[in-house]
Amino acid sequence: MNDNARATQEAVITADGVSFSYRSGEYVSRGVREINLEVMRGEFLVILGRNGSGKSTLAKLLNGFLVPDTGKVTVLGTDTSDDDKVYEVRSKVGMVFQNPDNQMVASVIENDVAFGPENLGIPREEIEKRVTAALEIVGMSEYRKGSPNKLSGGQKQRIAIAAILAMLPEVVILDESTAMLDPKGRREIMETVLKLNREKGMTVVLITHYMDEAIEADRIFVMNDGEIVSSGAPREVFADAESLKAAGLELPAASRISLKLAEAGYDVPFAITDEELADSVCRLK
Amino acid sequence: MQIKIENLSYVYSPRTPFEKTALKDISFTVNEGDTMGIVGATGSGKSTLSRHLNALIRIQSGRIMLGDADLSQRKVDLKAVRKKVGMLFQFPEYQLFADTVRKDVAFGPMNFGINDAEASAAAAEALSLVGLDIAEVGDKSPFELSGGQMRRVAIAGVIASKPEVLVLDEPTAGLDPAGKREILELVKKLKSSFVKTVIIVSHNMDEIAEYCNRVAVLDEGRLIADTTPDGLFNHSDVVDNTELDYPHTVKIKRKLAKRGFVVDSPALNVEQLTEGILGRLAE
Repeated sequence: MNDNARATQEAVITADGVSFSYRSGEYVSRGVREINLEVMRGEFLVILGRNGSGKSTLAKLLNGFLVPDTGKVTVLGTDTSDDDKVYEVRSKVGMVFQNPDNQMVASVIENDVAFGPENLGIPREEIEKRVTAALEIVGMSEYRKGSPNKLSGGQKQRIAIAAILAMLPEVVILDESTAMLDPKGRREIMETVLKLNREKGMTVVLITHYMDEAIEADRIFVMNDGEIVSSGAPREVFADAESLKAAGLELPAASRISLKLAEAGYDVPFAITDEELADSVCRLK
Repeated sequence: MQIKIENLSYVYSPRTPFEKTALKDISFTVNEGDTMGIVGATGSGKSTLSRHLNALIRIQSGRIMLGDADLSQRKVDLKAVRKKVGMLFQFPEYQLFADTVRKDVAFGPMNFGINDAEASAAAAEALSLVGLDIAEVGDKSPFELSGGQMRRVAIAGVIASKPEVLVLDEPTAGLDPAGKREILELVKKLKSSFVKTVIIVSHNMDEIAEYCNRVAVLDEGRLIADTTPDGLFNHSDVVDNTELDYPHTVKIKRKLAKRGFVVDSPALNVEQLTEGILGRLAE
């Protein structure tokens, strides 16, 4: 399930010994410490952590929104601390944020999606093509001429993703983009993300506190208190229940039930999806 | 205190081209001691209904009885109503405003006309109920706190006036799983204090299933179910006919049933479903 043939050995983003603290006057609060990671082209990477674990800080470091105090972040070989290259970096690493209402800039959806490429000075016909393609990928083509303020939260986030895609980024980072959505909206975004990665080969970094959104990832990094505390394929990471608990995360329902059944003496392997749990329970009867 | 809603209807912008019916002929009763969930798709009328409960919206037609107080009467004492029914809006941390936590929490009681010392004592009590120590956070700016703490300060601000009824609009939206659980456990704990009745408006069926003893379903302004979580999720087709979802554990139960493994349990949380599976395996 996790051997994604699209993930390559080529690093698009590299973080090397990165630390960052927030400062306001005398007050220093810790952001992240000693982060080392590589985002490989074509992979679906999930960064998991509770509120305040430093995961959003890390996301902002990966697209040059923040610059490390020590260590280095490079995007396709470009150092994000190079002031002359800041726009280049941000056009390669697109970011979708948490609140759908804060990301709409225009009163007509197609203008909203066109806003990014317009700022890059792309010719009109090319922009048209990009807007069409981007709306198509997120399944919002029929709303093109409509107004964003009549959309649901999930639909607004899909427009925000389309607006990023129209910039033709190398990587899309979603920073808790499902946190404010209802279950239906969350499902829409997760389906869009999987389609982007699996069908279009887009490199995706998803920042979340929901473990069930991490099940389909190629790799997971778990953050706690500003540090990466574990990493690996979902099954490896989920199996380490103790360190997940310490990081304030909650296993998916299927995992918890499989553990309880095993504890009660039944031969039920650790499940991460509902399907796996159903398989092993039905096998017992 | 019982809340009795009778034939409540509400229309926004009546007699204009923008006229929109938000509630149609709704009747139900919330009994003292209930934790009632109100669910429904976006635009189904949940917020309009909950805003009626502390008279933020005046009644157009129908009646709401809060104990002996009739909210449809022109002369109803709004201040008394709002003191009895505390209301927590969505993302309440955005509504914190004072320069210290102490002042923010004491703001409500002071508006209900008690003196500084009493308001300060009420703030200390409310903060301790939500698990914060006034000595530790009282003089901090609310904006220095973490997201979960800010939300607890916002809840303290509502309960500092000692409401009998607490209406919560999406109380856990945006929080991580540990933060969600913390808030819901807090709400449960508050029910052993002066708060007798809780009404939770939510999209999250897992929470409704686990924490509510009753649930009302709104669909396009109509009340289409007034039942228990077990009744809604296990013994009706309401979920299939609306945009609602099943709680995660009920989904697993249904998946098992499709494969011929029928679990005799409401499966409203992980514990219940596990027990159900174990029971079936032991047969």
